[in-house]
Amino acid sequence: MRTRVRNRVRAAPLEMVSGVFALILALGAVAVIRWRLQEPQTFPVRPLLPMIWVFFVVIVVGEVFRVRQPDSRHTAPLATAAALAFAMTVACPNGTPAIYRAPLVVAVTSVAMLVGLAPSLVRRRPIRLTDLASSLFGITVAAVLFREVPVSHGRSVLDLQGSWPVDLLALVMVLISEFALTIEVLLLATVRAARSHAPFSRTFQDEYMAAFGLTAALSTTGALVALGERPLGVSAIPLFLFPLGLTQFAVRRRSAIRRTYRQTIRALSRLTEFGGYTEPGHASRVAELSLAMGRHLGMSERDVLDLEYAALLHDIGQVSLTVPIPGGATVLAAPADQRRIAHDGAEIVRQTGVLDKVAVILEAQTTSYRQVRELGEDLPLASRIIKVCNAYDDMAGSHPNAARRSAAMERINLGLGYEYDPRVVDALVRVLERGKG
Amino acid sequence: MNDTGPKGRSQAVGVPSIAVSAYIAAVLLLAVGLAVLAWRTYPLNSSGSLSNNDSVTLVVLAVLGVLGSASQERNVGGHITFSFASIILLAAVALTGPLGAAAVGAMTCLVVFDKQRVEVRVFNIGMASAIGAAGGFVYLIAGGATEVSAVGGLGYLMLHVGLPLLLADVSICLFNAVILSGIVRLTKGTPMRRFILGMLETSGPAYIGYGLIGFLFVILWVPAGVGPASAVLILAPLFVARWAFVQYGDEQRARERTLSALVAAVETKDLYTRGHSERVASLCDLMAGSLTLSHQETEALRFAGILHDIGKLAIPTRVLRKADRLSDTDLDRIATHAARGVEMVRDIEFLADSTEAILHHHERMDGLGYPGGLRGEQTPLLARIIAVADAFDSLTTSRFHREPHTVQEALAELHKRAGTQLDPSIVAALERGLVRHDWEPTRLEPALMVTAGRAFDHDDPAASDLIAGHAGTEQAP
Repeated sequence: MRTRVRNRVRAAPLEMVSGVFALILALGAVAVIRWRLQEPQTFPVRPLLPMIWVFFVVIVVGEVFRVRQPDSRHTAPLATAAALAFAMTVACPNGTPAIYRAPLVVAVTSVAMLVGLAPSLVRRRPIRLTDLASSLFGITVAAVLFREVPVSHGRSVLDLQGSWPVDLLALVMVLISEFALTIEVLLLATVRAARSHAPFSRTFQDEYMAAFGLTAALSTTGALVALGERPLGVSAIPLFLFPLGLTQFAVRRRSAIRRTYRQTIRALSRLTEFGGYTEPGHASRVAELSLAMGRHLGMSERDVLDLEYAALLHDIGQVSLTVPIPGGATVLAAPADQRRIAHDGAEIVRQTGVLDKVAVILEAQTTSYRQVRELGEDLPLASRIIKVCNAYDDMAGSHPNAARRSAAMERINLGLGYEYDPRVVDALVRVLERGKG
Repeated sequence: MNDTGPKGRSQAVGVPSIAVSAYIAAVLLLAVGLAVLAWRTYPLNSSGSLSNNDSVTLVVLAVLGVLGSASQERNVGGHITFSFASIILLAAVALTGPLGAAAVGAMTCLVVFDKQRVEVRVFNIGMASAIGAAGGFVYLIAGGATEVSAVGGLGYLMLHVGLPLLLADVSICLFNAVILSGIVRLTKGTPMRRFILGMLETSGPAYIGYGLIGFLFVILWVPAGVGPASAVLILAPLFVARWAFVQYGDEQRARERTLSALVAAVETKDLYTRGHSERVASLCDLMAGSLTLSHQETEALRFAGILHDIGKLAIPTRVLRKADRLSDTDLDRIATHAARGVEMVRDIEFLADSTEAILHHHERMDGLGYPGGLRGEQTPLLARIIAVADAFDSLTTSRFHREPHTVQEALAELHKRAGTQLDPSIVAALERGLVRHDWEPTRLEPALMVTAGRAFDHDDPAASDLIAGHAGTEQAP
């Protein structure tokens, strides 16, 4: 809960910038169209209207049914693919050449995206303007590359494609879409890196890997619809979007299950609180802090997820105790007990058969940093992070004031280099400072 | 044809019987017959020899078919099967005619990367080739265009490609089910009718999707002029969808395993309940079968079974392991575990259907249960099922004062309590379920018994009476 509120507040300036950026794109497109309309018409627009309307409706519908992925961007695959196809359409069935220019694509897409936002506004669901703006920019890139940029003798792909074999055209369409979507991911990664204070290259890599499958499906579908319009006309748009519809369905199901898996782990992390072994909120505070530090230290999204699960479950080993440790603070327990609890926890988690990496992290969560330095032991970064976070939260408590904070930091600093990894402690200091400011 | 997958492969163990061999031979003969007929009536083109273009089409389709069948038919979770080979076969029907489709079908099953018994492979080749040819004939009889390239609008393409392809699709689905039902009848004894209906129900809807995608494939290949490259464009989104479905299945399993393993760990707190949740969950599964619950209800019931006692974690160990007679306060404390359990799992969305069952699994038919004092059918069905499973497992597990009841003794005890504590129809369902599945009473190790001592077992039907009586006296004044 706290994370969400904090993210919203932090993100506000970024959201504003994105909104203004999208608005400039849209208004710019409209202005160019108005300016062009004053010139004598070079091609008939009227026969294109049914196609433009179908694209418009499909983009609106696609925007309404967004796929909300936990901790990742919200995508609208059907809308994006339809807009890409609109950007790369070359001909209509009734022989009308589709020689409209890029501004039309941008204007229609942006208006459709805005209309698609309406249900979210009515239902007061959070809107991510950053996702919207980067998506619109991606479409703009595709439209400009396909319809405006001169590639040979001052002629664009649209002008040239008549003399190309169709499979070459298909290849060019896929490549342009891939490029445009990569630009989109680049923008999103920049925003996310700024938001989570993670290194940019790592965020880009994560976003790109996460989007890779969907990007491939989107770019091929864009080409598919654009090419299908020649024989089938406007009906190609819904028909050729069908395979992508399956993809969207599958991705939705997958993100739904990811969300509930995370809920499951979160709920299970509270088992020790219900049993009176640990202080309420300890596990989720340690998880939140670990997450921020993991991102700060440039861990990949996969590793961050394992770190989060391990942090949530780091005290699960305590359920094997008959008598709870006072206050659940493992940092105050004897080292041998600490190790046993960590070991029991790792064993419990290992029983699941699917969280082996988390078990490894839990096993090593009490190991001193000195083991790495002196014995060259391989200690997972995640374990070092949890060790520091756990110690800090045990000592600072649930409602730390400045005095308790600095007392906790002081005790951690006493164990610097011996008990705790200096790099991790440094990250803790940074993350805590950010939290204050 | 892909549906031969696990079904076709897993059967036939050992040397095939004469009947099976004869059936395989008959299918093979049918395939050859259809191929010859196709050759005579609809040769690949008028001159009877392959043109360069046609052979390219044929080879590309065959390669795609092989790749498709190699990558498929792991059940991708939640009743969803994906078959690229079926789509390729349909495309072959329209693009290359009956003979070509037969060839593509046969080649798809000829190259198989995983180990497969010879007779199974022969059967698959025969069947795929036969249904390919049959689909090709249906397509042509229904007025399908042989030269799809002839330019025409949407109407023409729908009428002369779309509709015939849909009919070919339906007949391929039917032929596939019929031919398979024969071999399954011979090897497993499943009645043909039941097998065919079952298969149409599970993979029928998918075939409609294959039909549509096959149609798009053909349109893109010829009228849109993309040629073999259309395979990439059409199949890429499907591959991504399949990949996401596989991940979905994996994560679903991971979620369930995580939940039950961690719950099992927590159970160590109360020694008597070790393994109890798992056993209750499997008893629930068994009853879900004889009560014909929906898929969704069965899922919710299983999770409720795993989690029904999770609230006991919130009860001090000292109360759970108390050897003396429990005071009324202690009984009240134990009775809170149902509500505490709901508190713990409230935030997990997919357990929404299970929470009611967790809350009310100690209600009684006579209204003396806890926490709501619900009477008869007021108690949700799933909760009544768990109540029966709970009591049955408690009776068939050893306690310090007695050996575990046998299944018969336990059932007799449950019958005695049907109507007052338990729902008679559900006790009957348990009995029906136990006819089909064996149940082994749980003997706890002596060492564990010593540690567990004389601890109170709240699931023992006698405990239910105790708490009911206690609640009754409390309400009386």
